[in-house]
Amino acid sequence: MAMQMFLVGFNGEFNQPMSRSVQHRIRQCGGYILMVMRTGIIVALDDVQVPAVQSHPDVSLVGGITLNPHGYAAERLQHIFAENLSKQIQVKAE
Amino acid sequence: MPNVGAELASVPFGKMIYDMASAIARSQVALDKASIQLVKVLASTTFDYVPDVIEVLQPNPRTLPGVTDSDGNPIVITGVQVSTNVGTAFPLTLLQAGVNPTFYAFTNSTIEVKMSISSTQESSNTLSVGVSVTASADFLFASGSVTSHVNFTSSNKYSYSVTGSSSMSTTLAPVPPPKNMMPRFFLVNAMDPSKITISQS
Repeated sequence: MAMQMFLVGFNGEFNQPMSRSVQHRIRQCGGYILMVMRTGIIVALDDVQVPAVQSHPDVSLVGGITLNPHGYAAERLQHIFAENLSKQIQVKAE
Repeated sequence: MPNVGAELASVPFGKMIYDMASAIARSQVALDKASIQLVKVLASTTFDYVPDVIEVLQPNPRTLPGVTDSDGNPIVITGVQVSTNVGTAFPLTLLQAGVNPTFYAFTNSTIEVKMSISSTQESSNTLSVGVSVTASADFLFASGSVTSHVNFTSSNKYSYSVTGSSSMSTTLAPVPPPKNMMPRFFLVNAMDPSKITISQS
């Protein structure tokens, strides 16, 4: 199923080093950070990499999510995701 | 001789199908439980949502000190004043915002059994017969002997082999959230309580 959106939940209380460590693991697995919150991170990740992210000691769960276009702030979230994604994708010139 | 039909009949298709169906059912339950757990997480994960930012542009004409036209009148330039009003932030859950858990379903399952049966039979017989006669004669007596031998060799080689392989495959696809597993949203307009909007993801 390849690239999908996932919610990566944190284990325990939020702190900056822990959040960075989880984000680093996600980037190592070829994932992209779409939005960071105090309780978890919304990421775009290849589903074969889920076990690798799940094995991080500060990760409590990795669950697939979708964006409901009728949601209260779906459009706003979409913009946030797109903006954050654009900062991480490198477009190579042919 | 091998009986292909009997060999095929000995393949435990029923058990294979049952085992596969049972594994799929267990996996489906586990996947659904994980998605329901995710619904709880999404419903309890909040962030501060700023509903609106109002920017009001108002004219703000002003003169530049020391700059006049040819008649000595001060030059008025158009200007603009921006007043900003940020709406009060309120906590919004990810579920309200529009993030839904993904539910998965097994859509297609296949069991494939391949079987190869081969048998060979070789038989060989050899027969050899030999007769030897010796005779001798002398003045007073004569003697003779006859010997014969029969060698018979029979060999049979019989080989029979059955090789089989089976493969099972199934397809997992994301599906829309089942209605019974998703919460309903009731929007009560306090300005007009008679209007209640009910929605569901």
